[in-house]
Amino acid sequence: MSASRLARTLDRVLVTTAAVSLFALMAFTFADVVLRYLFARPVRGGLEVVELLMVAMIFSGLPLVSRRDEHVTVDTVESHFPGAVKAALRRVMHAVAAAGLAGAAWLMVRKAATLAEFGDKTQLLGVPIAPFVYFMAALLAVTALVHLAKTFLPGEPGGAGARVV
Amino acid sequence: MTAALLGLAAMLVLAFLRMPVAFAMAIPGFVGLGLIRGWPAAMSSTASVIYDAGFQYTLSVIPLFILMGNFVARAGMAHELFRAAYAFIGHLRGGLAMSTIVACAGFGAICGSSIATAATMAKVAYPSMRKFRYSDRLATGSIAAGGTLGILIPPSVIMVIYGIMTETNIGALFAAGVFPGIVATVLLCLAVVYVTWRDAGAGPPGERSSWRERFHALRGIWPVILLFAFVMGGIYGGVFTAAEGAGCGAFGAFVFALARRTLTWQVFVEVLAESARTTAMLFLILIGAFIFASFVNFTSLPDDLKRFVAQFELHPMWVIIAICAIYVLLGTAMEELSMILLTVPVFFPLVVHLGFDPLWFGIIIVVVVEIGLISPPVGMNIFVLRTLLPHVPTGTIFAGVMPFMIADVIRLAILVAFPAISLWLPKLLF
Repeated sequence: MSASRLARTLDRVLVTTAAVSLFALMAFTFADVVLRYLFARPVRGGLEVVELLMVAMIFSGLPLVSRRDEHVTVDTVESHFPGAVKAALRRVMHAVAAAGLAGAAWLMVRKAATLAEFGDKTQLLGVPIAPFVYFMAALLAVTALVHLAKTFLPGEPGGAGARVV
Repeated sequence: MTAALLGLAAMLVLAFLRMPVAFAMAIPGFVGLGLIRGWPAAMSSTASVIYDAGFQYTLSVIPLFILMGNFVARAGMAHELFRAAYAFIGHLRGGLAMSTIVACAGFGAICGSSIATAATMAKVAYPSMRKFRYSDRLATGSIAAGGTLGILIPPSVIMVIYGIMTETNIGALFAAGVFPGIVATVLLCLAVVYVTWRDAGAGPPGERSSWRERFHALRGIWPVILLFAFVMGGIYGGVFTAAEGAGCGAFGAFVFALARRTLTWQVFVEVLAESARTTAMLFLILIGAFIFASFVNFTSLPDDLKRFVAQFELHPMWVIIAICAIYVLLGTAMEELSMILLTVPVFFPLVVHLGFDPLWFGIIIVVVVEIGLISPPVGMNIFVLRTLLPHVPTGTIFAGVMPFMIADVIRLAILVAFPAISLWLPKLLF
């Protein structure tokens, strides 16, 4: 499989994971409220399910944001730089971001190892936490790889902050 | 003090070199922590910040309100809002522009994003204003400015972010936005009155509707009222938390979008994927902001700022005025979300130390963001209109927002001078 095909497949898998987790998060929150009020029967360990879904959604979303260059950036000053400087600068920024994310992934691997060693589980449902933290680490590493790839093939930075405010 | 200033400088330099804001905060924050407290401490505190960002139930309020806004934007309820507002005030001079602003306020009550509000309203209101030969200035100005009401009138994503960063009650913040939102709507309408008083041709009156038509139009907006009442009523009635309210609101908006057949499979997947990406992007920034904040809190900067203010025996109100001035200036040149994330960790402790209410300061922050969103050259709402209405020259939009910006600055002054406008309702409810 070529690298670009692999990237497309991975993208699809991550979009699906993120979308399904978010929809489940919404449906679950609604169902929890309905069950609690109409049937006086809250879902046991509801908070834990929400947290695990959040982890799945946020961290599978990260490589997607980086791949689409949707991180919030400030272009006030940079837009006045000459083209060649801008292009070089973008490569440097991607390299730094890749290093930072790789560091974060490593921190999460360490954290996961500690959690696995003590066998930490969620309080009510008893779901082991370590695999989820390894998942965080893996996706941070994938995001680092996206930035590493962009160090060599930079795209146009976006401004996804627009969608928030 | 020096350490914090160096950290701040490094953060700004990185941000202005167009390093994504999340990394521009995280990297100097981490390095600073490492140099001050030692690397093992920096690593363990950073690991906890990343871990806690995922495993924290209360943060689910963010994706759920974003999702609600995106579903609402696709559900097409903006048409009914505009039609209802038009039925009542459309026949006045500048009536369509005022209808736009009132409809934006209504839309803001179910959508927490000003960009989504402006984009949705541009598609609904602009064609009508064009048909009645409104000047492009007034048309685009009223849409851009009206759109900013989306973040002042609850729900509001920016209030949620402020609430999380400062540990302020989100429900109370929402309540604090209600009366300022009404004041804002009135002032923006007065700006329309002023523009059409100066130039009657800018906004000719529309057709007068009969009372029968008015009631008919009013009936069309029941989904908006229902959704708003459901979410806010639930939060204030103690039925559910802000996060649960957001989940129920998103579900309600999803059902309305389904019922109105505006949701194809493709749109549905895109709404989910886009909301998830926005959330991921936002969480990375929150992680960066928390890392940076934990560094700043270990330096002497917060205390030094307090001492600095004490030394000059400044009246606390001057500090607020200075902060507002800094924000309005920064807002012209910076993207607003980054502006808030970069500055709140520094200003908030000082403002609270001076005895101001965190709820009130939250509203002030939202208002300065609103001003920033329509202030040239880097106003996000202006960008939105430029993208959606490519035939309108940017200069026209810039000129069009001016009267509204002035109305916004007047509103800021009113809200600073009379904190009760913001604080009365949350005090009553909480």
